[in-house]
Amino acid sequence: MTVVVFLVLFLLSSISRGRYPSGGADVHESCNLTRRSEDFEISEKMDDIDAMFSDLLGEMDLLTQSLEQETAAPTSLPTTTTTTTNNNKEVNFSIFTDLNESLHELEDTDLDALMADLVADLNATEEKLAAEIQGLKVPSPPPPDLPPPPKGLSAHHPASPASPAGSTGSNVSTPASSSASSPLPPPPPQSTKPTKEEIEAQMKADKIKLALEKLKEAKVKKLVVKVLLNDGSSKTLMVDERQNVREVLDNLFEKTHCDCNVDWSLCETNPELQLERAFEDHENLVEPLLAWTRDSENKILFKERGEKYEVFKNPQTFYLWKKDNKALKAIKDKDKEILIKENFCGTSAIVPDLEAVLHLKEDGKKSWRQRLFQLRASGIYYVPKGKTKSSRDLVCFLQFDNVNVYYGKDFKGKYKAPTDFCFLLKHPQIQKDSQYIKYLCCDDACTMNLWVTGIRIAKYGASLYENFKTAEKRAAVSSVWTNRSAPSCSNPSTPSPTIKAKSPSHANGHAQKPQPGPTSTDVGGVPPPPPPPPPPPLPSTSTFPPSPPEPVFAPPPPPLAAKSSPKPAFPQQHPPPNFPLPPPPAMDFPPPPPLPPIADHSEAPPDFLPPPPPSFGSLSPLPPLPGKSLPPPPPPCFRRMDQSLPPPPPDPGFLPPPPPQPMFTGAGAPPPPPPPPPPPPPAPTAAPSAAVRPSGSVRKMPPPPPKRTTPTLPAGGGGGGGGEGGGGDFMSELMKAMQKKRSVP
Amino acid sequence: MLNQMNLNSASIKRDWSDHAIWWEQKQRWLLRTSWTLEKYGIHADARLLYMPQHKPLKLGLPNGITLRLHACFSSPVFQTLMGICRMLNIRHPEELSLLRPLEEKKKKKDKDSAEEIYDLTEIFSPLKSSFAVSRPCLYNGMPAHFADSPKMEAIYKMLSVTQPPPAPEVVAKQYRPASVVDKAHINGRWLDSSRCLIQQGIRENDRLWLRFKYFAFYDIEPKYDVVRLTQLYEQARWSILLEDIDCTEEEMMLFGALQYHISKVSQSEPKLLSSSAAMDDLESALQSLEVKMDGESSSASEIFVVKLKHVTICFRPKKLTLKGYKQYWFKFQDTSISYYKSKEESIGEPIQQINLRGCEVAPDVNMAAQKFLIRLLIPAPEGMNEVYLRCENEQQYAQWMAACRLASKGKSLADSSFQSEIKSIHSFLAMQRTNPSSHGNTPANDESINTHSLVSPRYHKKYKTKQLTPRILDAYQNVAQLSLTDALTRFLQIWQALPDFGLSYIVVRFKGSRKDEVLGIAPNRLIRIDLGVGDVVKTWRYNNMKQWNVNWDIRQMAIEFEGNVNIAFSCVTADCKIVHEFIGGYIFMSTRSREKSDTLNEELFHKLTGGHEAL
Repeated sequence: MTVVVFLVLFLLSSISRGRYPSGGADVHESCNLTRRSEDFEISEKMDDIDAMFSDLLGEMDLLTQSLEQETAAPTSLPTTTTTTTNNNKEVNFSIFTDLNESLHELEDTDLDALMADLVADLNATEEKLAAEIQGLKVPSPPPPDLPPPPKGLSAHHPASPASPAGSTGSNVSTPASSSASSPLPPPPPQSTKPTKEEIEAQMKADKIKLALEKLKEAKVKKLVVKVLLNDGSSKTLMVDERQNVREVLDNLFEKTHCDCNVDWSLCETNPELQLERAFEDHENLVEPLLAWTRDSENKILFKERGEKYEVFKNPQTFYLWKKDNKALKAIKDKDKEILIKENFCGTSAIVPDLEAVLHLKEDGKKSWRQRLFQLRASGIYYVPKGKTKSSRDLVCFLQFDNVNVYYGKDFKGKYKAPTDFCFLLKHPQIQKDSQYIKYLCCDDACTMNLWVTGIRIAKYGASLYENFKTAEKRAAVSSVWTNRSAPSCSNPSTPSPTIKAKSPSHANGHAQKPQPGPTSTDVGGVPPPPPPPPPPPLPSTSTFPPSPPEPVFAPPPPPLAAKSSPKPAFPQQHPPPNFPLPPPPAMDFPPPPPLPPIADHSEAPPDFLPPPPPSFGSLSPLPPLPGKSLPPPPPPCFRRMDQSLPPPPPDPGFLPPPPPQPMFTGAGAPPPPPPPPPPPPPAPTAAPSAAVRPSGSVRKMPPPPPKRTTPTLPAGGGGGGGGEGGGGDFMSELMKAMQKKRSVP
Repeated sequence: MLNQMNLNSASIKRDWSDHAIWWEQKQRWLLRTSWTLEKYGIHADARLLYMPQHKPLKLGLPNGITLRLHACFSSPVFQTLMGICRMLNIRHPEELSLLRPLEEKKKKKDKDSAEEIYDLTEIFSPLKSSFAVSRPCLYNGMPAHFADSPKMEAIYKMLSVTQPPPAPEVVAKQYRPASVVDKAHINGRWLDSSRCLIQQGIRENDRLWLRFKYFAFYDIEPKYDVVRLTQLYEQARWSILLEDIDCTEEEMMLFGALQYHISKVSQSEPKLLSSSAAMDDLESALQSLEVKMDGESSSASEIFVVKLKHVTICFRPKKLTLKGYKQYWFKFQDTSISYYKSKEESIGEPIQQINLRGCEVAPDVNMAAQKFLIRLLIPAPEGMNEVYLRCENEQQYAQWMAACRLASKGKSLADSSFQSEIKSIHSFLAMQRTNPSSHGNTPANDESINTHSLVSPRYHKKYKTKQLTPRILDAYQNVAQLSLTDALTRFLQIWQALPDFGLSYIVVRFKGSRKDEVLGIAPNRLIRIDLGVGDVVKTWRYNNMKQWNVNWDIRQMAIEFEGNVNIAFSCVTADCKIVHEFIGGYIFMSTRSREKSDTLNEELFHKLTGGHEAL
């Protein structure tokens, strides 16, 4: 029951929490914000719960409908993908307000990713609750939490809680922060419950309280955010209220396999105002997004912006801007360091003292007026006509407490600005043209960057530098990993992302973009990559090796391979997305790496096949094999997938989730396993794909099992036979349950 | 032999150990007792003075207090200063120096004689001992020599607690440099660090100022630097009040607000002295306990409703006039206000709910007219909505105003600062009320500070207290929550962020130039300023400096920078030794680093600043 209920609660609450107090009444609004807040308030009164549930049921209906709709148009999905990719202009939504809508609009891959995230969340919550609730069930105290509705579904219940116990993983990175993080011990065996006495009952009452508290804790706003990538494709992720931009970026790094350099930024664009702003890394992402209006066409972009940390790369252009260019170019690194130290490592960051004649748009008019502006730590000032430049005569134009600075685009056309080098200052909540927005126009791009950066320094101070240092570290780590992550499966980091190639749509995505970016997109969808691992550019090869297994393997071969370090080259050369033919990966260095793996394979396979789920440790070795072989065999994967995934038609919307499950089952379950572990050497190509998934699951198992695993578990328990069925069954169960519910009241 | 003489005189029963021989004619101490008179070049006709090396000196501190203490007249000023700072528990003496005070007019002299002088001469030849550690152990929060008697403790408190804001008249009477040249003249008064006091004409009981000279403050640690931080703040405050450093009006208001806050907090928080570790721990423990309790109580009163009736509200969408104030029943919840037609309907849906997060709150109050308006600028996608809340009386206003302010920062009424916010609003209201009667005279009690004493005299003329107070209050809301240390730090940060911060001016004449110009010496650079326009003509950074030389004969400085840039100038308002010392001093400051730990590299300092004396 928990599974279902929570899923429902989750989704529903997101709908109802949106901007519609009435609860998903007008589902088809074109809003783009999905609010997922887990703040269903569980009051202790049963009445409330009942009321709530009837509400929920209504919303569930909507949900179901939407799902059905999705199902109806499964085939069309791929096409959508392409369109999105090709013309991002047509895709207006970056955030989904409305679940229905979002389900419609999301691409397969997105759904995959999203569902993975969701499921992970759910699992965590579910486990938690399962633990609590099971405790509660027997005892006399009324189990307030999730009373009546779930009953119908209870069949699920036992399975889910039990299995998750094994997998209770901490899903690190993703949104399910609070709920997921609390590691709950496996639910106490039911047998004990009956025996318990009143004292126990009291304890349970306490537990209820605790559960309630935890639920409160879980009142965290979450948004499903669609991030547009450079190549026009997009990624969908869930962002938690407490996540800052840095964390989201890290998340994206893992999903996109970009080079992680410090320039990558998340930008917000507002087409109506024609502005753009890169979020600072320490900012919370959710808050500014909440300021968007319902019908907003704002977007979030993930791209490289050189000016983001330019001030730390070339501080002289900001702090010595008065000097001539020649002198600036000749500046030495040592001097740069000194400049940074001087200006950012003191008691407070020093704002470059800028002074320039800028054009100011006059309120409500299209005319621009020149003024001599000065930037100070306390704000922007201008020199009134006929006065001197001395501080005491300056007039305060604006202070930074409540405004952000944005780049304006094409203001020449829109506002008849003297040049296109404009920036503006406004309260983040303002989304439309207003007299409270201050437009400024500079003579050249250089001045504009100078001012925008100066304002950022004045506003954010030393935290900019902190951000930069963190970003730099991140970039360094990833480059190290890249280098190291050679064929030798030594890298534990192996981001699950490699597992892509789940659905046909993936294929499309891959094909389109030569760059790693796209691949990652697809990848991202699949697994919520374990947070820690640095994303090695080479998706397939490097990623797979599960860290734990390594020891088992023959250490010698991998190192060698590593030394040859084809890796660095790989990332760039291979468009991983395409799953280049087997040969390409091997290309120059291929020879060495493959061999070792093969050997391993031969050994490993046996283990793998026989001991299905239990012997994970032993299994782990397997993954590496596949990993190595991986590069080649993408196509097979697909086929397999298709075959194995029978249910796609039923509910396409939910398809994403199923894939992981099937895979898992395949790996874990005795029957299916044989296919995946495909014979190593002979059919490396085929193997990889199949292997990949198992590997994915396997990986998770050894350490802290990530969210993914959990989903699979339920599927395995419920579905039993067909791994594929997992997703479908789950959903149908859900629907059944809902119907039952409805009829009951 | 000199020591023989010493021995002879020692037969008189007294401690002569501090005495030494001063050769007045040659302006020289004969401190090497193993040297013969001949070696010193002393002839029969030489007049030698046998006198103590430590003598009392009147020392004016940045906070305006004058101390009388024993200072060493025989060692270089740098060492003398180290001794003084050690005595006063100020770390990093290298950042300070001694300044000859301005000559005061005769008229003032009388007043000065009445000035209270705090006597520290009991502390004799301070602790030359094992005091090299830069983190002296403190007894009861102060150096042991201050803990002796209540009187001494009181003096230490004067050093370590900020002074209340001066009366506006006092500020107005102080000398204020009117131009860069005036400021440059002050810099001609620094004593030479490498020569001793007596060599520079300082006599017993003369008056000197102790000031921060190098604006590169290293490693300020509030725990150990109570006196240093306080004095630094005082110096900064006075530099603002006397317009020694320029700032804008907005900045002045913020400085004013911080001063107000600091004086308020430091009066209510005299335990500042307790910097011993144990106390700190205890305090922090208590604090965290408080926080916890706060948190609990807040959860209990999550739906804390301020029960204020009949707040009237008026929306003023641009074109409407102020006519229509309408009464509604208002509720403050979390960070939002909701209003209803009447109290009875307050159970149902409000007419409107407004979240105040991120909004701007401004007062519009006229005590005389009993007008209590709260002006809210609430951000919305379309722009800012302007809303006025009109309160009936002071009490109501203070509560609602406090609530709005907290809400605009995303804090709910349950926040611990709610009550203190209300209090401070009351006290500002009180200031406005008392103003007309007291006519800007220095207020007696601390509850109502004359806001004129928080800003420079320029604003005394520009604004009446009535106008000034709301502006300072406005700035105050952003700093009201700061602790004393944070407020001090904040004040210093803003001070340091001023564009002209850290500039010491000297009037110079560049080689080949026919007019005087101003050389600005900053912690990291030299700037050349055109006297006529006041514009910065050129900037040279120390890290590009290859070498600098002083031609002591023609009193000219020559500096060579990378890229074959050479400048040379002679100094007009100060001795070139002072300029030399400034530059060398700043370079010395930049060599300090954590790795080199706390020991002061005296030798290097002299090498960099001493000039030919050092040789």
